[in-house]
Amino acid sequence: MPHLVLDPHLVLDKVSIQYDGQAAPAVELVSIDVAKGDFVVLVGRSGCGKTSLLNVAAGLVAPARGRASINGKPITAPGSDRAVVFQNDALFPWLTARENVAFALRLRGIRPAERARRADELLELVKLTDAGDKRIWELSGGMRQRIGLARALAAEPEFLLLDEPLGALDALTRERMQTTLLDLWTASDVGVLMVTHGIEEALVLATRIVVLAPGPGRVVRSFEPGFSRRYAAGEAIRTIKADPAFAAARGELTDAIFEGEAA
Amino acid sequence: MTVTSYTERPGSKVDEADGLSVPWSRPSPKRKGISARAVSAVTILVVLAVWALSARLQLVSPVFLPSPIAVWNKFILVARDGFVDATLLQHAVASLGRVFAALIAAILVGVPVGLAIGISTVGRGIFDPLLEFLRPIPPLAYLPLVIIWFGIGEPSKILVIAIAMLAPVALSTASGVRGVSQERINAARSLGATRAQVVRHVILPSALPLILTGLRIALGAGWSTLVAAELVAATRGLGFMIQSAAQFLVTDVVVMGILVIAAIAFVLEFTIRRIERVLVPWAGRE
Repeated sequence: MPHLVLDPHLVLDKVSIQYDGQAAPAVELVSIDVAKGDFVVLVGRSGCGKTSLLNVAAGLVAPARGRASINGKPITAPGSDRAVVFQNDALFPWLTARENVAFALRLRGIRPAERARRADELLELVKLTDAGDKRIWELSGGMRQRIGLARALAAEPEFLLLDEPLGALDALTRERMQTTLLDLWTASDVGVLMVTHGIEEALVLATRIVVLAPGPGRVVRSFEPGFSRRYAAGEAIRTIKADPAFAAARGELTDAIFEGEAA
Repeated sequence: MTVTSYTERPGSKVDEADGLSVPWSRPSPKRKGISARAVSAVTILVVLAVWALSARLQLVSPVFLPSPIAVWNKFILVARDGFVDATLLQHAVASLGRVFAALIAAILVGVPVGLAIGISTVGRGIFDPLLEFLRPIPPLAYLPLVIIWFGIGEPSKILVIAIAMLAPVALSTASGVRGVSQERINAARSLGATRAQVVRHVILPSALPLILTGLRIALGAGWSTLVAAELVAATRGLGFMIQSAAQFLVTDVVVMGILVIAAIAFVLEFTIRRIERVLVPWAGRE
């Protein structure tokens, strides 16, 4: 592939989304730019269209107006340059954990031995070295999501699209998974576009937070919290969360999300 | 026993052992009291006893109702010396061969048809009415037509059985395909799967549990079509054996044949359930 664009970008440009049979658009004129190495988090109340926007980036939903593009090329279908991780892990129960991770490699016709080797590397990366031969139903929710992440990374995507990947996990697992996500992001240098309901989660993970409001879905605010950069630079997650600046940012973000909502 | 347990709350001690399958009766095998299996065993013993007794007391002429002992002796005799030029084993093998040939044919046609119904609107438009037309017709009704078209040879017999198997295989496959979660398909596509790869690596394995259920139902349907298929110009087969016996009023062979057919059906069902557990261990765990 010719590298016409030196710096990879995933771009949603003035995107509007309208679903069949609905008079009002779900999302109107939203622009989001994710560069490689960015961690962009979409937050907002229910019905603000965050998952719809993620699906546009994934190529699963076509925008009614506007353009979605990756490295300058329009997005018309799903592709392994933007691997998606869903809330319900969507793992394949007929495969072992290792075979799940190697799925993208199998699609590309890579030899079984090489597949297994690369899958084991990724399993190590998500700290599930010994789980390779396990069946999916033998794994906990957190482990399943880590397998899902490893499976997405195996496709060697330039961007990761995360649709509330921690939404179905319990609070403690969730917290641990946040650092796992940050570690993976730091190690792999992918660009991330993530949807979440968790305010604290957004603050911990994002280099940029895009706040959306419903009716129709639109961007109301944009933050650059910078805590994830501090984590990447070596600061402990507890220290970051204890920082008064973190509490202040949380207040500000909460206000932005609930702004304009009838109390 | 009363039916008061229908109005009792779950977990109440009342009528725990009544064996009524009320919605909240716990299916635990450790349940105290009478198990369904024990009731079944007693039922079978009672039926056998009534049968033996009425044969013994000559309530019915032995021509119409041979005793269980007579049937058992006949079983040994036919297994050893044969009936109408073939041993019991040869009859059974002939029948099983037809049923399995038909099963393979039904899989080769039914699974792709089911996929087409489940995946594409055009496929559903084409095959759904055809299957719905075929499904309720009893084999005895299309048997004459099959013979007119394809003669009285082995292919006709296999075809009659295969037609009975086609609908269960295709319809189960279709419902399995329709039940595949969209998220799983999206995940595969976002990992770079082409349409064909989605079918091969996601849809087929996802549908496999229901396809196997379809095969189990199809085997049952095919096995019960056996006698009809062997009505014409067969020289071997359990169905043929029963009919020959009936023509000479050898009732004990008829009864024995029926029991053998039932026993084989039971073994087939059991075997395929075992295969299901090995092939799709994830079924019901998601």
